[in-house]
Amino acid sequence: MTAVEIRSRAPVSAPSTTPLIAFERVDLVLGGRKILEGIDLTIGQGEFVCVVGPSGCGKTTMLRLIAGLFQPTAGRVSYQGKPIARPRQDIAIVFQDYGKALLPWRTVSGNVALALEAMGVPKSQHGDRISGLLAKVGLAKHADKYPNQLSGGMQQRLQIARCLAQEPAVLLMDEPFGALDAMTRQGLQDEVLDIVAQTGATVFFVTHDLEEAIYLGDRVIGLLPNPGRVAESFPVDLARPRDQLATREEHEFLRLRRVLFDFIKAAEA
Amino acid sequence: MKGARIAWFAGSIAVGALIVVLWQFAADAKLVSPVFLPGPDRAWTALVRGFASGTLEPKLLGTIERMFYGWLLASLVGVALGALIGISAVARAYLAPMLEFLRPLPASAIIPVAIALLGLSEGMVLAVIAFGALWPMLLATIHGFAAVEPRLYEVSRALGLSRWSVIWKIALPSALPDILAGMRLGLTIALILAVVGEMLASRDGLGLWILLSARSFRAPDLFAGVILLGLVGFVSAMILTLIEHRLLRWRATR
Amino acid sequence: MIRSGKWRGLVVPVALVVIAEIAARSTEITSDTLAAPSAIIVAGIKAMGDGTILAATGQTLATALGGLGLGLGIGLVFGILLGIFPIADRLMEFSVEAFRPIPSVALLPIAMLVFGFGYRMEISIVAFGTMWPILILTRSAVAGIEPRLLEVSRVLGLGLFARVTKIVLPAALPRIFVAFRLAAGVALIVAVTVEIAANPLGLGYAIMSAQQSLDPALMFALLVWIGLIGWGLNMLLVWAQSRLFGRAAIVEAAQ
Repeated sequence: MTAVEIRSRAPVSAPSTTPLIAFERVDLVLGGRKILEGIDLTIGQGEFVCVVGPSGCGKTTMLRLIAGLFQPTAGRVSYQGKPIARPRQDIAIVFQDYGKALLPWRTVSGNVALALEAMGVPKSQHGDRISGLLAKVGLAKHADKYPNQLSGGMQQRLQIARCLAQEPAVLLMDEPFGALDAMTRQGLQDEVLDIVAQTGATVFFVTHDLEEAIYLGDRVIGLLPNPGRVAESFPVDLARPRDQLATREEHEFLRLRRVLFDFIKAAEA
Repeated sequence: MKGARIAWFAGSIAVGALIVVLWQFAADAKLVSPVFLPGPDRAWTALVRGFASGTLEPKLLGTIERMFYGWLLASLVGVALGALIGISAVARAYLAPMLEFLRPLPASAIIPVAIALLGLSEGMVLAVIAFGALWPMLLATIHGFAAVEPRLYEVSRALGLSRWSVIWKIALPSALPDILAGMRLGLTIALILAVVGEMLASRDGLGLWILLSARSFRAPDLFAGVILLGLVGFVSAMILTLIEHRLLRWRATR
Repeated sequence: MIRSGKWRGLVVPVALVVIAEIAARSTEITSDTLAAPSAIIVAGIKAMGDGTILAATGQTLATALGGLGLGLGIGLVFGILLGIFPIADRLMEFSVEAFRPIPSVALLPIAMLVFGFGYRMEISIVAFGTMWPILILTRSAVAGIEPRLLEVSRVLGLGLFARVTKIVLPAALPRIFVAFRLAAGVALIVAVTVEIAANPLGLGYAIMSAQQSLDPALMFALLVWIGLIGWGLNMLLVWAQSRLFGRAAIVEAAQ
């Protein structure tokens, strides 16, 4: 048992009364290995929850459980009170490897259109919706380009645009900015915050980057590895809208940074 | 830089013309017996004469038709079957080893079996062409469908795409480069088998023409026929390349 | 046990053979065109025993390898030259693209005219057929050599011959070997095709004779044998490739 073992139990539940997403005593066993054990977590409507932890703690696995790509071995994962049996159209996933998640043979517009086609939106409405979405992520001028003509940051924005086309209530983001350089990453962080502020979506954000987690989140969940368990929930008491320079200099930000850093260090020990 | 490319290509045509001139020289100087190597002038005369007298045209068309129909049939079956097998991991596990074993089998070895079953007929030739061209297309299609990026399957699950949509919008475009490569190989095989089939079954076409020309020592006619066959191969490959460029526009090099 | 692992690949072929055997035995018709698997095996063993299959195999392999050697020589030399000298490559582009699409069997009557029937005719056609893939692939292998290595050869002041033998060939060798593997398959295919079409020697001729003498069991036995030879040759070369170049070359070259 490490020193950081389950310190506080109370704050893992959401501030608002009816949770949107709930993990109830979830276990997940894959290929004979216990990936997740006894996960209890609730996420409320409109919350921005960031998940951090050392490698192998199962944070991506939790994301995939909410996505409906995996099923729990024990316990249940529910959305609006009902178990998530399969992927839902109103829960969108942004993958880290954007290159592999986009269709290289379709243009930027075509890729966004895929989501609309899946939703059965009539073709006549595609044009307007796509231009609106591309404008939102700043890709309006690149509508006819192919993904391999775009930079990494632009490709990730394209993936985000496609997810937004689903008009999602929940955004699941799996280390979406991990493969990008620092400047692009910061720009995209602010864009995501803007989009979330506009749409009111609930976000489950997995990341390795502690500062990113604090910058973006309302709450940061820390997981312990082998097997993955929820250790602690750190509320982020910083004002919104966040600012790349000002927020990162605030006393609370620096305090949380230190706390999280210690957590990870102890967890990896 | 487009000007430079055109200049180089013109240069290479000039080199080609040079080779023809050398060929003419070798023929005129009788470096090789004119029975074996007619000069380009005689080959050209035979070519023109052949078309003027109406002999060569039906033979040319005959070969092209055979090649095309056999290849078309093989394409349809190969892609359809390849898609079904390629998409299902179970089907692949049961069938892929056997199909891979059959890959190096010379397609022409099936000719005696085809003759046994269908006799020396037009149908036999067509069956051989279709069968021979089928394998590269089937194998390439299976590979293309099997190699679809798994992440895209997850994306389609997340988006809620129907099974048909997944095949049509995700798997097929992803497999298209492989399918086209297989079609290209199939076309080469179709031409070869058309020629061999014509030779064996005495069907009217360029293959038979060049065989008979050789037997009667009519070298200029023989060379004219070979040149035509080269042209058929060249043009059909070029058409396929153009189609490929159109369909795979997105593969522009960065 | 059958359900998982490598055995699944055998289920379908074995089932097909069993079905063919049952079908052949239950219909009492003697056929001129088809044969039961058991009869095929018997005919195969017999032909093996009296040496006919082996003799024919020897002939086919001799011509295939002879033609392959010749095609390898020509293809390598020109492929390397065109790969090293882009100017030559660009100037030869038209001629290469003009000659390439000629199907090797189209040259069969010419070879027949010049050499008559026999080994030389077949070897020349196999050489033509194998020359092109080797030339094209060698050219791109050489052109794709890490430029840094060529800079090294310039800095060291190596002459053309030394450059080719010490830098170009070793660097391009893995991909050239893949081209060789491909060409070996082509050599076998072209050899058998020539034998089937015209040349009275080797396995192609044997299988045509079997069909003409209405001996379907022997015909199918030869068909299976040809398939085995092709498969065996390929396996041999894949093994050689992994011994010489290691697994990395196989993965990269599987494209």
